[in-house]
Amino acid sequence: MSNRFGLQKAGPRNRSDRRAELLLGALACVVLALIAGMIIFVFEKAWPSFSHNGFDWFSPFAGGNVDDELVHIFESPSNPAQYVYEMHAWPLIYATILITATAVIISTVFAVLSAMFIVEFAPEGIRRLLEPVVRLLAAVPSVIYGLIGILVVVKFFGDHLITQSARDSVAGVAALNGFSWGVGALILTVMITPIMIAIVVDALRAVPIGWREGSVSLGVNRWRAMWTVSVRAARPAIVAAAVLATARALGEAIMLSMVTGSVGFKPQPIDGLIFFVEPARPLAATIVDNAEGLSVVPFAQTLYAYAAVLLVSAAFLSFGGWYIRRRLRAYTLSPI
Amino acid sequence: MSRKGIRLLAVLAAMSLLITVPAAAQAKKKIITISGSTSVYPLEIKLASKWIKTKKGKKFGFKILQGGSNVGISDVSKGRVSIGASSRDPANGDPGGLVFTRIARDAICMITNNSNPLGNITQDTIKKIFLGPTFTSWSQVPGSPISGSIDPVGRAATSGTHDAFRNIFLGGTNQGSFVAAKSSNGLVQQTVQSDPRGIGYVSLAFTNGVNVVSYNGVACTLRNASSFQYGGVRSFYFVTRGAPVGGVKKFINWITHSNKANKIIATDWVPLH
Repeated sequence: MSNRFGLQKAGPRNRSDRRAELLLGALACVVLALIAGMIIFVFEKAWPSFSHNGFDWFSPFAGGNVDDELVHIFESPSNPAQYVYEMHAWPLIYATILITATAVIISTVFAVLSAMFIVEFAPEGIRRLLEPVVRLLAAVPSVIYGLIGILVVVKFFGDHLITQSARDSVAGVAALNGFSWGVGALILTVMITPIMIAIVVDALRAVPIGWREGSVSLGVNRWRAMWTVSVRAARPAIVAAAVLATARALGEAIMLSMVTGSVGFKPQPIDGLIFFVEPARPLAATIVDNAEGLSVVPFAQTLYAYAAVLLVSAAFLSFGGWYIRRRLRAYTLSPI
Repeated sequence: MSRKGIRLLAVLAAMSLLITVPAAAQAKKKIITISGSTSVYPLEIKLASKWIKTKKGKKFGFKILQGGSNVGISDVSKGRVSIGASSRDPANGDPGGLVFTRIARDAICMITNNSNPLGNITQDTIKKIFLGPTFTSWSQVPGSPISGSIDPVGRAATSGTHDAFRNIFLGGTNQGSFVAAKSSNGLVQQTVQSDPRGIGYVSLAFTNGVNVVSYNGVACTLRNASSFQYGGVRSFYFVTRGAPVGGVKKFINWITHSNKANKIIATDWVPLH
């Protein structure tokens, strides 16, 4: 039996090794138990909301207004037999997917290109400045991004990018005042790109230098060598970075609650350019905005249902990422 | 013993003093716990810190938490705290057996952006903006100095301010789902401050940097609210499980009857008498 590095695992055991092994094993089990407990707890709380609505909970065609439904649930009578549960959460799910996907796609492109620059093309001086700055950016708390969003980005969008005729065309349906899913996605992109850059830089560095040198010595220029050899070899790490970034984007609540408009509106691509500045509210932001209502039983169960959806999506992401990475490894000679 | 060791011991001794002295002092006092509305929080802090300096209040200590009106009501119904603070009226969904005691009143003001110095707004106009909406353009609003679309801003359904706005300004109907549902007074204020076409409602304490609109011809000021000329006034409640007893009863009595408490309330809120 050997591990990844080809070292022999079994051997004469000494006692302190054995003790460390047991301790670490116990810790790992505690983490597993915690996660299992959390999933069971959330699903147990969320079940009434799902079971009352069935497939309509997720269906894009269920109709109804999600904010009105929330108010009705919140105002349920205190008698458990009369609890209101009707919830068609598609606008919130749609907003979550829309914002997350936009941010992750843009930031993947940005991250791969900037990582290539940092690893291969940047002059030493710039590289030494860029890397710590990227790592610092990755650690900025989201509420700071939210504040900058409200005070600067939202205001800029509202004052300079949205015309009066655009506003009038949807007056009474949606307020175009800068609070929008577009601003949310934009700031989210800025938030997750540094994490992705940091991971992709490490991955590109881990590609054995000989591989790239080999292709350069065959007469390929640096850009092509980087693109066809290093980036190709680092694909599993790029997927891993995208998965991590998606997980952070899915769970982002405070910043999105501050800038996306606080309305359960479904942005319509058919509206043309206005689409990008229409308001929306993703799942995590809805939980934050309404946490005060947790004392009302059916309302709390509805919020737990949102949480359960986020939890399951995160789990699927992890498994999906793991599967794609495995497939990619099968096709490429990967160092990672 | 080295100098370092002595210094360390001194610090430890000082710290243990800090920890033990208040604990010993508190051991003799009964603790009254409060949780609930963020709007009531600044008021209850001021009242409690004054009361524990009075003769009756000396024997008591306080532990005050926030969380929102509904959190306070739920906490007190489950016996987790002695008093729940609420900035909304009793509702259908509340647990049974709770007693709401009014301790003060608070004004809710309509606000617009400073570049839109609307002078007055009637209840009818507010309904046409926040329900329906019948009015979607400022040119439809009587007396409006600007034109263009209206951006109504409000609070989430779970907030006490939303409840008060519905009952006082909208005649019991919920605001339309097109109204942005912000999660705090401050966010409503910030949104209206940055949006020239915005209109929103906030507690009187959150009206800096925005244009405060008169409601039905009466300006939203503390004086008008105290004299009951201003219509947009809501109540702050202390909620107890059953009628208040013991220290809680003494505290609430002091708030509702003493002149000192009245003076404290009158700094930013409306006293009961």
